Amino acid sequence: MPTTLRIALLAGALALVSNLAVLGFIQWRTHDEAVSAQRRLVVEQGAVLSDIYRTGGMRALADGVEDSVTYGDPQTAVGLFDPAGREVVGNLAAMPRTRGPVREGYQNALIRFAKQPAPHEAAIVAHRLPRGEWLISGRTVGNGLALRDTLERSLLIALLVAIILGLLCGLILAQYVGRRVGAIVAVTDRITARDLTRRIPASGGGDAFDRLGHRINEMLDRISALMEELRMVTDSLAHDLRSPVSRLQSAAHAAAETSDLAERDQQLTSVVRQADSLMRMLTVALEISRSEALTSRSQFAWFDVGELGAELSEMYEPVAEEAGTALRFERPRDPTQLFGHRQLIAQAISNLVENAIRYGGRDGEITVSVAQQVRQLAITVADHGPGIPEERRAEALRRFGRLDSSRSEEGAGLGLALVSAIAHLHDGALTLMDNGPGLRAVLLLPSTRRPEDT
Amino acid sequence: MGRKILLVEDDRETATYLSNGLGQEGHSVEQATNGQDGLFRATDGSFDLIILDRMLPVLDGISVLKALRAAKVETPVLVLSALASVGDRIEGLESGSDDYLVKPFSFAELLARVNALLRRREARIDPADHRLTVGDLEIDPLARMVRRSGKKIDLKPREYLLLEYFARNEGRVVTRTMLLEQVWDYHFDPGTNVIDVHVSRLRRKLEDGFEKPLLHTVRGAGYMLAA
Repeated sequence: MPTTLRIALLAGALALVSNLAVLGFIQWRTHDEAVSAQRRLVVEQGAVLSDIYRTGGMRALADGVEDSVTYGDPQTAVGLFDPAGREVVGNLAAMPRTRGPVREGYQNALIRFAKQPAPHEAAIVAHRLPRGEWLISGRTVGNGLALRDTLERSLLIALLVAIILGLLCGLILAQYVGRRVGAIVAVTDRITARDLTRRIPASGGGDAFDRLGHRINEMLDRISALMEELRMVTDSLAHDLRSPVSRLQSAAHAAAETSDLAERDQQLTSVVRQADSLMRMLTVALEISRSEALTSRSQFAWFDVGELGAELSEMYEPVAEEAGTALRFERPRDPTQLFGHRQLIAQAISNLVENAIRYGGRDGEITVSVAQQVRQLAITVADHGPGIPEERRAEALRRFGRLDSSRSEEGAGLGLALVSAIAHLHDGALTLMDNGPGLRAVLLLPSTRRPEDT
Repeated sequence: MGRKILLVEDDRETATYLSNGLGQEGHSVEQATNGQDGLFRATDGSFDLIILDRMLPVLDGISVLKALRAAKVETPVLVLSALASVGDRIEGLESGSDDYLVKPFSFAELLARVNALLRRREARIDPADHRLTVGDLEIDPLARMVRRSGKKIDLKPREYLLLEYFARNEGRVVTRTMLLEQVWDYHFDPGTNVIDVHVSRLRRKLEDGFEKPLLHTVRGAGYMLAA
């Protein structure tokens, strides 16, 4: 599995880099420490001999040098040289060799012990005495270097172990990730193969994989719901279109077969009326789909819903009057600005008003009101007609869900579904309530923020 | 008095039907069957009106319209479209068309709109006297005053707008959707007879107490104001 390998290699590489950084730091620090410890020892030893000279003079110094040679460790290098560079006392074969002439103070040098041919690297302190003699005191650095060698070897081993462990961790990690992702992939594969009912199981840990699975599940739920709705719409569209189409068909046949001109004229009028009615149904169905597909948000703008409500109430007031009822508009007290689609909101309100006039007429007045509530606008259309029983309200909001098909030839029951779709477009909702008696349709639209563009 | 109309429509049956109908009304109709050809013919500016289908091969109607307006061709354009949503209508109007008609439509509806557009062009050419008169009806748009045979008629604001629109289209058929769009500025299809109710109220105010009718119903099409 190449992904697993990639993850393992990546983990190994990361382990390598981080270990290199740590080991490099250790190496640098210990080297530093070793050098400074050496320097301290050398300087101390030099200071001791200088003190001896100051207090006891040349004789005491010669004794001190001899003591240092006798009792010091094998790294100790001490020598007292006369001004000509010959050793008076000490364990050195000659004056140390340095870059340039020997200076006062701390420096690195190459020394040769008496009776040993090979020179050693050493750190020394040189001190010039008043009569021109040189006091040399120092230590070879060979031992410190050996210690560093050991340390470097151990660090290298540690590095190798770290890389191997890193690769191993990577493999385990990759295995785990691969297993979790694999489970999700397996489910999505099955879903692709048309089993939309499957869902991704959660491990219960609530980790990122669970969240991913959860999101995918939500997406699937939404898709299922949409597909179910689509299926229902297609079914009911086919079902609802059947009767106007068959009426259209029979009227057309009758017109074609009759020889009586007046009769033909009448049948043709009926054909046109049925075709118009069909067209209206299809137009509204299309409009609902478009509202739901959120295609109209580019035409959103600020407008006053209260003004629109007043305008529409004025428009429908005579229609209500002809239908034997009255329409009253309750003017809002506060400004009722909304960022939305003015034409669609107008259509929604007029659909509600037309429904109220058609079904709620005669039994009392119809009231239209617009009110600014907390962070939302409420557009209410209430009538005193028979209303809709609670258990059938959901059905009334569905496409083609006309409750009483014998009541009216027009409208085809799409009105409330369209209003509901328009509400959704504005992130709002249409709710149907009891007006005791009658129907109270409330369109709630969030008014504080602009709906996000999609 | 015939006018030159350019019809850009790719559906042969619709094109023939419209061309014959407009021909019978005395207009001379030239046809183009795709957007590019339509744009090419339209740019010479010799037409009184362009009827433009929205879905066209090669170049779609809205692009043709935008190109025309960009080229400063101000010929009135009536867009025909099978796209019926409010959003589509508004997009059509905003891209520079003068009117928008949704398919399918009755020929009467198309003719009414064609005549209204041709009329608007006429009005643009000769600066009209600000007073409108239809027979013994006199309308003063500045004062929003209406008199018939010298007798003042009181109208509500919307009724006045309705009457003014009728008067500006005197002698021409005006359809219900034209009224809804032009007088109320709503671009949807109402399910009720809301327009008829308003027209009949206006008619009562105009004709009560007078013998001669002014506001006529044209069967299958709409209404017409004529002396």
